[in-house]
Amino acid sequence: MIKINSICIIDDDPITVFGMRRMLDTLVTYNTINTFENGKQAIDGIKAMMLAGKEIPEVIFLDINMPIMDGWQFLKEFIALPIKDKVRINIITSSIDSTDAHNWKLYKDKTHHTVTYNHKPIRKQEIAEITKVA
Amino acid sequence: MLKKSQKTNNSYLIKQLPQATVFVDIRKAIVFVSDKWLYDFDFASSAVIGKSIISLFKNSNMEWQNAISECLKELPNLTLTESHIDANGIKKWYELQSTPWYDENENVIGTILQMKDITVRVLAENKLEKLEVIFEDISEIAEIGFWDYNLAEDKMFWDSRTKAIHEVAEDYSPNFIDSLNFYKLGNSRNTISMTVNKAITHEVPFSEKLQIVTAKGNELRVITSGKPLYKNGKFSGMVGTIQNVNERHLNEEKTHENQRLLRTLIDNLPLGVSIKDLESRRILVNKSEMEFCNVTSEQDIIGKDDFNFFDKSQAEITRKDDLAVMRDLKPILRKEVTHNEGNDEQSTYLISKIPLIDSDEHAYGLVSIRMNISEIKQKELELRKLIDVTSSQNKKLINFAHIVSHNLRSHSANISMLLDFLAAEKSDLERGKLMKMLLKASNNLLETLDNLNEVVHITTNTSLRKKQVKLNTKIAAVKQNLSAELNQHNIKVLNSIRDNVKIRVVPAYIDSILTNFMTNVIKYRSPKRNSFVKLSSSTEENYTVLHIEDNGLGIDLDKYGEKLFGMYKTFHENKDAKGIGLYITKNQIEAMGGKIAVDSTVGKGTTFKIYFNDKD
Repeated sequence: MIKINSICIIDDDPITVFGMRRMLDTLVTYNTINTFENGKQAIDGIKAMMLAGKEIPEVIFLDINMPIMDGWQFLKEFIALPIKDKVRINIITSSIDSTDAHNWKLYKDKTHHTVTYNHKPIRKQEIAEITKVA
Repeated sequence: MLKKSQKTNNSYLIKQLPQATVFVDIRKAIVFVSDKWLYDFDFASSAVIGKSIISLFKNSNMEWQNAISECLKELPNLTLTESHIDANGIKKWYELQSTPWYDENENVIGTILQMKDITVRVLAENKLEKLEVIFEDISEIAEIGFWDYNLAEDKMFWDSRTKAIHEVAEDYSPNFIDSLNFYKLGNSRNTISMTVNKAITHEVPFSEKLQIVTAKGNELRVITSGKPLYKNGKFSGMVGTIQNVNERHLNEEKTHENQRLLRTLIDNLPLGVSIKDLESRRILVNKSEMEFCNVTSEQDIIGKDDFNFFDKSQAEITRKDDLAVMRDLKPILRKEVTHNEGNDEQSTYLISKIPLIDSDEHAYGLVSIRMNISEIKQKELELRKLIDVTSSQNKKLINFAHIVSHNLRSHSANISMLLDFLAAEKSDLERGKLMKMLLKASNNLLETLDNLNEVVHITTNTSLRKKQVKLNTKIAAVKQNLSAELNQHNIKVLNSIRDNVKIRVVPAYIDSILTNFMTNVIKYRSPKRNSFVKLSSSTEENYTVLHIEDNGLGIDLDKYGEKLFGMYKTFHENKDAKGIGLYITKNQIEAMGGKIAVDSTVGKGTTFKIYFNDKD
């Protein structure tokens, strides 16, 4: 079993969140797992963790199309945060819009964090591959 | 030696000779002179007798002195022609004739010199000679031949040039009828016959431009001139000339033809062409330019400038360009100019101006070419509009395809994932949970499909009929439907729209649009204050504009502006938000030829402006 301290899932679809958690439970052991319904909640949550001196998530699963603040807006604010450790951000989307793939390449090159781009539906096998410390 | 009496006798006879005569002895001294000689050379009798003839003429011109010496060489019967220039510089020509002078015993005792004044004859000869040369030159250059008809002999004399023109042999000798038969049958033959007849009966000369057919069958243009001659009041013959003007005629024809061709060409060009002088006055215009200046005859436009036809401001621009072209000797090419046609219509022209430059490199005018491109411009505008519409539709389509793909994929991904779990799940309790989730996922998929259907219906159904409706009637109906919620949240509706404001809309769409905006007012009201919504209307160009202003939560347009009308975009923590309403609303408004604008401040409120197209 892979061991991860802290995992974070950002997605507005409860079924997807349910599925992700269920698959992760069988693949990894973790201390904490946080879920957020949109980018706004997530960035606020992570900022609060930093303020409280809590552990920053090592692996983030990020949806793109979300209300209020979408995945890209979240990513923009997240990479601007003063986080020295390398965080693994796995984008998981059902979008086939080429601008989304283009955006991913832009952000990937802009940050020291690891950013991957994955399509829904995501299988257990893929989750196993992308759920590790960056 | 002569006896004294005889000598006196001789002297008297010689004195009276009508011709200028001088007797010179072998010592060249003058013995006898005629009075005529003294008169001709202006000598006094006493001053010459016994004097040397050579010394008498020692101040004369050299040629004359030489001639005198020649004559005294005692040669038999010498005749010379020489000129003498007297003390006054007057030149006279003389025929000098010298004869030896014999005594009774046939001994030569001197020379008899006769000098005949032939000045008149010499001058006449010179003049004639000159005239002949000139005449020959002229007739050769101008190809003029002579003819001479003698009635008594019925003989027509042709000189060699006349024969050459007719292309006949040198020995050809026609009669009068023969000569007329060279004129081409028809107009030329008729004209020459009638003209000759008239010349004879009316005693007048003639000159006609005619056509002949030469002996070799070549057709030539000639000018035949003639003058009838009369003897004792009776017609005796005729003289005249014939000139070959074929080349000149062909050149003239060619020039005329070229002029006609040029005229036809410029008149039928779809361009306005005008040639202007230094003062920008028109020297030459074509039909199209006359139409442009609204004149029907050339007289109304030649010599006139633009100030005669157009606004002062417009004419000033034209004049400025004209001056620049003529000053810099550089053409203006394809300058786009709009022109007021008077009846509120504007036309667009491409104007080119080319300077006309003389051999001294100075401009003496310009050619202006005007091309009406209004239609092309109009087409271009329409095309651009079409491209805009097409590209916007294309963008919408791609966007829609992405939405469809994204939404269907996310639901089907969920269903697929849940089915995987279900297949592996043993626990009945867990299976029940998964089944519930599957049902939810399936319902979500169906709802998405319904939404997409609605959008497709709006975008594809362009044939929907628009009707004119009273805006307030529609607002009242929506207000009625939402009255329970409006009252519950104490939202005031402040409507300042006048009852006569009408809009052209698809009735079903306007119901949906108004309901959606009013619902949004309710959904996104601010809990911190008493809510209101203000409705008003205005007119902008072809649009009636409905303003919907609320004092609700407001929205950060810098962040969400682009996505506000996107599908499945929500911006507030509101469980009712589905992110479909504004997307459908926008599609409905655009399907009716309208547009939508938004202004909002977070915490203050939002104003939507909905543009209803009054025309199409």
